Amino acid sequence: MSSRIARRLVLAALVAAGPAASAGELGIEGHGGYFSMTAENSANAVFESKGGATFGGAVRYAFGNGIFVAAGLRLFSKEGERVFVATPSGPVARLGHPLTVEVNPYFLTAGYRLGQGRLVVPYAGAGVTLASYKEESEVAGERYEESFTKTGFHALAGVEVGRGLVRFGGEAAWSTVPDAIGLGGVTDVYGEDDIGGWTFLGKIVLTFGGASKPGAP
Amino acid sequence: MSLRSVALPVAVVVATAAPAPAGDVIKAVRRAPSPASAPAWREGEVIVGLRSDADERASERVLRAGGAARARRARMGGRYLVTLEPGTSVTEAVARFRAMPEVAYAEPNGFVRKSQAQTFTPNDEFFEFQWNMRQVGAERTWAIQRGSSSVGVAVLDTGVAYEDYVDPVTGRAYARAPDWGDVTFLRGFDFVNGDTHANDDEWHGTHVASTIAQAANNRIGVAGLAHQCAIMPVKVLDEFGSGTFFDVAEGIDYAANYAEGDERPVKVINMSLGTDAFSETVRSAVEGAHANGVVIVAAAGNTGGDGVEFPASLPDVIAVGALDGRKQRASYSTTGPELDLMGPGGDCDRDDDDDGLVDCVFQQMPDPDFVVEGRYDVFCVCGLDGTSMASPHVAAAAALLVAQGITDPDAVRAALEQTAERLGGAPEDGRNDTYGHGLIRPAAGLSGLGFNQGPVR
Repeated sequence: MSSRIARRLVLAALVAAGPAASAGELGIEGHGGYFSMTAENSANAVFESKGGATFGGAVRYAFGNGIFVAAGLRLFSKEGERVFVATPSGPVARLGHPLTVEVNPYFLTAGYRLGQGRLVVPYAGAGVTLASYKEESEVAGERYEESFTKTGFHALAGVEVGRGLVRFGGEAAWSTVPDAIGLGGVTDVYGEDDIGGWTFLGKIVLTFGGASKPGAP
Repeated sequence: MSLRSVALPVAVVVATAAPAPAGDVIKAVRRAPSPASAPAWREGEVIVGLRSDADERASERVLRAGGAARARRARMGGRYLVTLEPGTSVTEAVARFRAMPEVAYAEPNGFVRKSQAQTFTPNDEFFEFQWNMRQVGAERTWAIQRGSSSVGVAVLDTGVAYEDYVDPVTGRAYARAPDWGDVTFLRGFDFVNGDTHANDDEWHGTHVASTIAQAANNRIGVAGLAHQCAIMPVKVLDEFGSGTFFDVAEGIDYAANYAEGDERPVKVINMSLGTDAFSETVRSAVEGAHANGVVIVAAAGNTGGDGVEFPASLPDVIAVGALDGRKQRASYSTTGPELDLMGPGGDCDRDDDDDGLVDCVFQQMPDPDFVVEGRYDVFCVCGLDGTSMASPHVAAAAALLVAQGITDPDAVRAALEQTAERLGGAPEDGRNDTYGHGLIRPAAGLSGLGFNQGPVR
């Protein structure tokens, strides 16, 4: 084999082998996006929308081999009003009594980042969610409150773009926290018991560590 | 086949509303202090917040100049509780302090109270004798909703004493009952006599209408449950309390189709009447009214046994039984599978609340002692009992729900049934033939549902 061909073969093998191995990388994330509730009929009845804005953050650590773990919290709060609905197909009567619902999930995620160290890094993961639920309403000076926490699961996928200290990303996450609601209120009427849903986020990530060898695209 | 009034007219004259011929008058013996008369702040004290750059000497000068006899500094922050010199007005001192450049703010030392659910207790003279209103939680209800003149309740009965009118045919002089206040009367009809003056030539209809909309908080008489709703007088029963299927059906059709412009203000029909027969004419009219979005309420009957009377027995009608002052089924109240809800109907043979007055339902009405002499211009606050009296409580509650925003008649019925207080061992999500779904709780119905929170208890 000619040396020119051999050199080209070695170069191709090096490229095909992917980026060179990186050191671990710490990321501090800020999140902002939209949370769409699985209990959408109930949400539409009380809030006149399926979801709303959500904000939060996380800390993640990406090992050199692409595996990452993350822990974080997101906040979701929505204002609506108490209503009356008799049946799932019946009309919703809005009664004007203010109501607020908060769903704040704590999450612990493990996953894989493809091409750690590259300019564009897609990732996917799954994990455990501990969702905090709180509901407050008031009728003519009488306050009604309810709160609890419930465990569920989530799966997510996203992409980060950038090198250096600041990176940006987008993520879609699906969560399920079943058997949390549905024993009273409109969720009982509609038979909806899950306080999870879809979350679509934009992210800003501050990264520390994770130096990679030259040659990675 | 004629219909008969289901009221048991046990008239107990207990008071007279103005004008007042001689007779016993009940005086209220307990009066709660008016909230408006309670002081808003502690006299002789002012809270003064000074600007952060005011030193101690300047602070003392400022406080003395404002009228302070002594001052106590807050543990945290630069504010003082100032005790004023004797005779110094709080409002004047506040104004003086606020004018000083060193002062960031000044205000009276106001009072706070424990947070609790609001209630509305009217100042009507004989409200304390309205055990029926307390039984359905009226004071809490009125803190949420007191009705709207855009929501009309048609009272199909012996007529209502709603106007001063001399009948040119009979010469009878009718008078407007004295305790209607600003109640709106929709244009009704007299189907017995065929004219537009549905006056009451008995007393039953006025008593029923008063349970719904008698004026509240005007220091006289008693109160109605939906006292800001409108009333449509529809006379379908004669002076003896009897009527016909034809007239009742006409009355239902009239009320359900009555329009003012593009609006149909009648949202509820009350029928404190019944029969043990069936009428396709009335059934058809009820069906049409329901399709027009009207809630229809009727008395279950006073037979004391099984078999809800017609038209309460119809599926589109809310059948109402009666409770006495103990919250037990009144002995006369009819039972059966068509029974939906219970309201206070009273028992004029009992005094279970020990207030010295039998437990009738007391409302204004033409004085029976004068009606029998052909006079319809003398009124009393009189007691009656019967499912006739229970039914307008439910009709009023329905009107309040409509005013709050529950406009679909099936939803109104569901709200009343789901929030009713279960009685007689009925399951939480069910009913029984003795009490139906139970005693209405209008405040719970008006409160609705939360996201995950069920009806309030």
